[in-house]
Amino acid sequence: MTAIEYFEVECAEPLGGEYYRQITNDVLLDHNLLIVIHKLHVFIDPKVPVFVAVGMLKKITSLVRVRDFTNVNPLEGKIILVISDEKYLAPMLKIFWQRFGKDHVEQPDRFTVILYDVSADPREIEDIVVADPSESLYKDLIYAFRCIAPEGFRVRRETYGKEKFSFVASEDTLNGSADTLITEKFRLMGETP
Amino acid sequence: MILVPITYRGGIYRNDEVIDLIEDLGGYIVQKHVLAGEVVLQSFVPKEDIELIRAIVKPLSGEVTDSPLVGTEIAVVIPSLEIHHLPHPACDIAEYTRRLGAKSNMVGMARGVGKRIAAINDEERDVINEHDIAVYVLGNFETCIEYKMPVLRRGVEVPIVLCGAPDKETLQRIVKPAVDGYVGNVGRFMHRTKESDELGKLDEIIAEITRVLEKKREEIAKDPLSVSPARLMDVIKEQVPAIHEVTSPTPLTVQMAGLRVKLPYDTYAGVLKKTEIEDGITIGDIADVVPSRMRDYILVKILPFSSTNTVI
Repeated sequence: MTAIEYFEVECAEPLGGEYYRQITNDVLLDHNLLIVIHKLHVFIDPKVPVFVAVGMLKKITSLVRVRDFTNVNPLEGKIILVISDEKYLAPMLKIFWQRFGKDHVEQPDRFTVILYDVSADPREIEDIVVADPSESLYKDLIYAFRCIAPEGFRVRRETYGKEKFSFVASEDTLNGSADTLITEKFRLMGETP
Repeated sequence: MILVPITYRGGIYRNDEVIDLIEDLGGYIVQKHVLAGEVVLQSFVPKEDIELIRAIVKPLSGEVTDSPLVGTEIAVVIPSLEIHHLPHPACDIAEYTRRLGAKSNMVGMARGVGKRIAAINDEERDVINEHDIAVYVLGNFETCIEYKMPVLRRGVEVPIVLCGAPDKETLQRIVKPAVDGYVGNVGRFMHRTKESDELGKLDEIIAEITRVLEKKREEIAKDPLSVSPARLMDVIKEQVPAIHEVTSPTPLTVQMAGLRVKLPYDTYAGVLKKTEIEDGITIGDIADVVPSRMRDYILVKILPFSSTNTVI
């Protein structure tokens, strides 16, 4: 957990809290989310029962561009793109189709895309933004906390901003005390909600 | 003749001789696995012949080990089949018991999650009761275990081994009335059990299951079964050819006091009841043939000597 500046698990049962610290660490590591979390405070009270997670996020500036996963080779009348990571192939093709038209885009095999008679400069193509990982971050983060939270806590409330997030879950109806808890836990981290 | 459960591991070369030897000595092969170049036989053999088998299989580089879980069917009961419990720790425990010869089934409850909302339904209860033992794998908080355990065990009559994060003494204190076995410090976790202390915990679960099953075996020995389940398995294999068409890994699952036959009840219950074991005694005479709650399988519950006055 070295990447996180502040990481605390608060629980009325010390042993249970220790297990939840391990679970939080494992799940965030598995989902590759440790790199985006700056501070994290988890609070669990099995007697109520309630699960609260509040945290601060790091700034994500990296956009995925065509050059990050392809090799662009300009030839006469066509540009050949050799793909090294298929993950972003579909969104890239979608952008090419919209921009150049399907007649000018061909994919002879899984790892090759050929652009015919396109007006764009190869450098311009390399700079095209294909994906913004921060868009799916919210979904990933909420999914991870659903895995971490005790099972059966199906009444949930999540908030997510540019730098902060909070997640509250319980099996009972959430009332105003959940907001108080969130404020209190943010304060423990030295932040305001 | 006292039959004891063993596991034989050896090469494929001349493994048929080992099978013949076990059968000639009056033993039974419960399961046979061929894994690449290795053969694993889970079987019951006469106690006095174990050393003889060891001596004969030595030139074949075979190995005979005691496997107290052979011939048992274990239910690993978890609050749900969600990612919270699968694949760790529930699959790890189920797989570990399987390696030691048991047939383990995972019972994920439909509404076993949470604290106040946890519940068990009649189908789950009946399926658990069809096993020899139920291993409950619960979570990390003693408050929750204390609150939901009385609900989750409602109507369960088979011995229960309870696993949870609180230590053994705490589990013993909070669960009332007491269950048959406890393993502490095994709660919900989200990583593979590969560290030595975690593997040690799995061994502890096996030891606890073995202890509880031994107690059950002693109970059965006081009023012995009319026929050994392993023998009944052999009889069905010989006389009901349809069992060879079943693609399930264990078409006949041996239990401590019965058998699960993976054939449709409506079609084959009558056939099974009329199947002769010896001297005109049929399966219907010495066992209850009932429908299982698991798919449309058949459950054969062997009656004790006191009910039938017969031992074959």
